[in-house]
Amino acid sequence: MRTARLQLAGRVLKYGVLGVFAVAAIGPVLFALYTSFELPADYPRFVSFSRLTLSNYRYVFDNAPVLRWYANTAFVTFGVVLGAVVVNTMAGYALARIRYPGRALSFLIVLAILMVPLQAILIPLYLLVAQLGWLNSYQALIIPFIANPFLIFLMRQSFQNVPTDLEDAAAIDGAGRFRTFLKVAVPLTMSGIATQAILAGTWTWNSFMIPVTFTTDPNHYMMTVGLNSLQSQFYTLVTVQMAGVVLLTVPIVLMFVAFQRLIVPSFATAGIRG
Amino acid sequence: MAQGVGRPRTAPLLLTRSWRQPPRRARRDWGAAYALLAPAAALLGIWFVYPIVDTVVLAFQQVNLFHFSERTYVGLTNFHQLWVDPAFHHSLFITMIFVLLVVPAQTVVALVLASALQSVGRGKTIFRTAFFLPYMTSTVAVTTVFMKLFVEGGPLAASISRIFGLPDTTWYAEPSFALPFLVIVYVYMYIGLYVVVFLGGIENVPVELHEAAKVDGAGSFQRFRFVTVPGVRPYVLFVIVAGFIQAVQIFDQAYVIASNGAILGSPAGATATLVIFLYQQAFRLNNLGYGSAAAVVLLVIVFAGTVLTRRLLPERS
Repeated sequence: MRTARLQLAGRVLKYGVLGVFAVAAIGPVLFALYTSFELPADYPRFVSFSRLTLSNYRYVFDNAPVLRWYANTAFVTFGVVLGAVVVNTMAGYALARIRYPGRALSFLIVLAILMVPLQAILIPLYLLVAQLGWLNSYQALIIPFIANPFLIFLMRQSFQNVPTDLEDAAAIDGAGRFRTFLKVAVPLTMSGIATQAILAGTWTWNSFMIPVTFTTDPNHYMMTVGLNSLQSQFYTLVTVQMAGVVLLTVPIVLMFVAFQRLIVPSFATAGIRG
Repeated sequence: MAQGVGRPRTAPLLLTRSWRQPPRRARRDWGAAYALLAPAAALLGIWFVYPIVDTVVLAFQQVNLFHFSERTYVGLTNFHQLWVDPAFHHSLFITMIFVLLVVPAQTVVALVLASALQSVGRGKTIFRTAFFLPYMTSTVAVTTVFMKLFVEGGPLAASISRIFGLPDTTWYAEPSFALPFLVIVYVYMYIGLYVVVFLGGIENVPVELHEAAKVDGAGSFQRFRFVTVPGVRPYVLFVIVAGFIQAVQIFDQAYVIASNGAILGSPAGATATLVIFLYQQAFRLNNLGYGSAAAVVLLVIVFAGTVLTRRLLPERS
């Protein structure tokens, strides 16, 4: 009897703790969403849903180049993802499958680069970009971030998790390495490639330090940098700022909900390695 | 001597290998391997390896942002200056306090949440999704939202002041509140990540151990203390070190609260972390060499942390 009651108390406590933290995690998101539909005059009071409007979104699109920032972010993200999928998949395959002189060394180099934070090499990166005349350009936000040690590591792992039998069969049938890679190995590793695309896409979409350092012209801002600039531009218009927050966040949240099963485990190790 | 021993062995080894895999095919594969690696190698070389080397080189030079092709070697001057610069010491101190607040908080909360999550039957996925969501969102978005919540009279600042008797104030503008504010924003984003790491660890603890403890009359708290905690110990150590490596790199959030990056480290240097210091030296005060010396310090800290992680990491993962 006593243990049963204790168990019940334990379960209530458990759900209580989880519930409190879940509310804490979701609360700020809901706050931003709700506020973005409020009339500036109504903030910070709670008003009935019938008073909510789209006016903040209209305002932010009319008074800031949000569409341009959106397009920039989409273009840069697309460029990085496309390049990353090609380059890192190729490198991952070579590291996982082919025995060549220097394989151990090349993998060691990938592992060594893996631990270097971008913050520590930002200054020479900036110099490189500046010397190339790439400040305020798309290529400065795309090309340096295509090859990524973590994604190479991830792809190597994905290829290693697939049995070699089919590739051996293809080789016996006379297919060369490139054909085997493209026609046999890549189709078997689609989930790894999808994970890679999602990781590269999320990192790029949310990236801030690089675009804020490499772009000074508002026409070349990404959404993160643009949103940061809205803070001073619309200092008193909290509701408008929240519309910006929602615009920045919605695509990632939708993608997260859609690909949850793929994303959660891969990010756990991404945080560990990167 | 060693060669003499080795020689007779080599021939049959080569024979077996050539029997299994024709050398011609293997040789042809070398070309394929290098061709597949070439784009990544070129890009990593230009955009990672060269900048790493150049960071170290720059640390021994004096370079002005506006005349960056004129580089003068100054030996250890930059490091000597770091050694005596109160602003640098301050940034190390701020970073240390930040890390000391962030790491225990996120480790303990993530462990508690993960073990609670592990044992609930219903709603596991929903809770996990809720905890993980903040990690997917942008640092700028999260910081912007929290700045509205912690403004004077704002939803959280007001209720915290009511409940805990703290002054109702704009946290990110108040020197003694700004760093705790950064800690809250940071921990909010990272908890979900470590919950997922711990969930993986807890799932590796054999169910039989829990069963045995139950048979011996252990309650759920005792089982948590004496079965779960020892079982996930390697993960705890790992989350501490990985969390430390991540936390010393804090930048975005501190940049956003500093009036759009105009007054880095504001208010009054309360959020002048190590990366903010190096960023300010390089891009606001134009001392690329001096900033790079601070970057080398960051590299050394992260390197030490990573070596430690590799030691502590359980072999399987």
